[in-house]
Amino acid sequence: MACNTSPIEILLVEDNPGDVRLTVEAMKEGRVINNLSVVSDGVEALAFLRREPPYQDASRPDLILLDLNLPKLDGREVLRQIKNDKSLLRIPVVVLTTSPAEEDILRSYDLHANCYILKPVDLEQFLEVVKSISDFWFSVVRLPPDVRGVSDAWCANEVITH
Amino acid sequence: MVAECSTEESEAAQQYQRLFEEAPVAYHEIDTDGTVIRVNHTECDLLGFTAAEMIGQPIWKFLVADDQTASRQRIARKMWAPEPIPPSEREFVRRDGVVLTLEVYENRILDHAARVVGIRTTMLDITQRKHSEEALAQRTAELMRSNAELEQFAYVASHDLQEPLRMVSSYTQLLARRYQGTLGSDADEFIAFAVDGAKRMQALINDLLVYSRVGTHAGKFQAASSERALGSALANLRAAIEESGAVIHRGPLPVVFADPLQLSQLLQNLIGNAIKYRDGAPPEINVACEDAPREWRFSVRDNGIGIDPKYAVRIFQVFQRLHNKKDYPGTGIGLAICKKIAERHGGRIWVESLPGQGATFCFTIRKGEGDSK
Repeated sequence: MACNTSPIEILLVEDNPGDVRLTVEAMKEGRVINNLSVVSDGVEALAFLRREPPYQDASRPDLILLDLNLPKLDGREVLRQIKNDKSLLRIPVVVLTTSPAEEDILRSYDLHANCYILKPVDLEQFLEVVKSISDFWFSVVRLPPDVRGVSDAWCANEVITH
Repeated sequence: MVAECSTEESEAAQQYQRLFEEAPVAYHEIDTDGTVIRVNHTECDLLGFTAAEMIGQPIWKFLVADDQTASRQRIARKMWAPEPIPPSEREFVRRDGVVLTLEVYENRILDHAARVVGIRTTMLDITQRKHSEEALAQRTAELMRSNAELEQFAYVASHDLQEPLRMVSSYTQLLARRYQGTLGSDADEFIAFAVDGAKRMQALINDLLVYSRVGTHAGKFQAASSERALGSALANLRAAIEESGAVIHRGPLPVVFADPLQLSQLLQNLIGNAIKYRDGAPPEINVACEDAPREWRFSVRDNGIGIDPKYAVRIFQVFQRLHNKKDYPGTGIGLAICKKIAERHGGRIWVESLPGQGATFCFTIRKGEGDSK
């Protein structure tokens, strides 16, 4: 894929700094070359994606790692808004959470999450999972072409309202 | 002759009268309008009225106010219906205002031409019994609520403790991974203890979560094949069975009314223990089930190290262990989970054993719908 040349943009939506750092470290260990942006609540996540201040210069992510339990605006609601926003819905959203609850899994897929991953408790397994996420989404998967490259197309901000 | 006869008759009548008045049950009769025409001492004593105060009054006047109209309608209906009158419970008001719950038995009175002329009623005072039943029901409800609360607490506590513990555990592991051998042998040792402690705590919290889920996240009771439950338990234990060379004998096992996943977990824990606490020789394990009158009695017998009878109760408590972690690793929750599962199925669990002579763990499951041998 032509897009392999530019660094991968990942948006991590996670409120626990310990988890953020752990993800960063896991990516380092997995030698995932990327630009990782981090926001710590749901409101910031949507502002980032919609390039609202202070995120006017934010780059469009190729992948969103989304925690479900977030302050201000819940991860489920963030997911709903992303998937109802024509300019954002093609960005794959990986729900990365500690909740094994069946209703969270079903709800996330109902809201069109691209996958649901349980954060492993064990470090080795966590490193493995982060590596598999990047292997899968950036080597195996062919991402939608307008996600990368055609950077202005998504700025139209055509919002579907319900 | 005639005089003697009438004396005997009057004596019999007197005896009958005494019997009627002093019988240990309250007794009255009403006519077809519901008016009291006869009442015994026992009833007068019970309600605190004299016979003169009661006779001539409609019987519903002695019931609690909000049942009087209904009572009047009931009597009209009962008087003429063809079927026998079923026993009932009614609330009467004693003269001093205290409400009594009475168990009421009624029969229609027929005249010589088989016409209904009234109803005769015997009544037992069940106020006391009623109160204790209510108190018992209330206590049971309170106990169930506090049990549920405790389970919920254990669940929430263990669930919420996992988050910060995941941080401790991940970062100590990361420390070990990155800096093992670079900070000196003391540091390596300290980190190793921290990693080990965090791992053990994780195991404990996980087990506590599993334990609390026996009550809070349980499955439905259904007709469950204990053959199949054993099959899946053995499948999960395959590695341990192969490694130890264990031989498992099984008798015929019934279909029982149970939560199939929990039944399988119970068998798996017991067989897993039988394999773990072996005595050098390859384990020989016998799984059987006896058909008792009201319950199924399962047993898992092994030829392992056995248990001193003085620990027979303690081993079923949460986090109780008899051995050091090096010889027999584990958190000590397995049998506590077994106990909770057995109890949830209306059963018990116990062990019959002597040190060095193997152990037999038995548990029962209450019989229910759809059971079969």
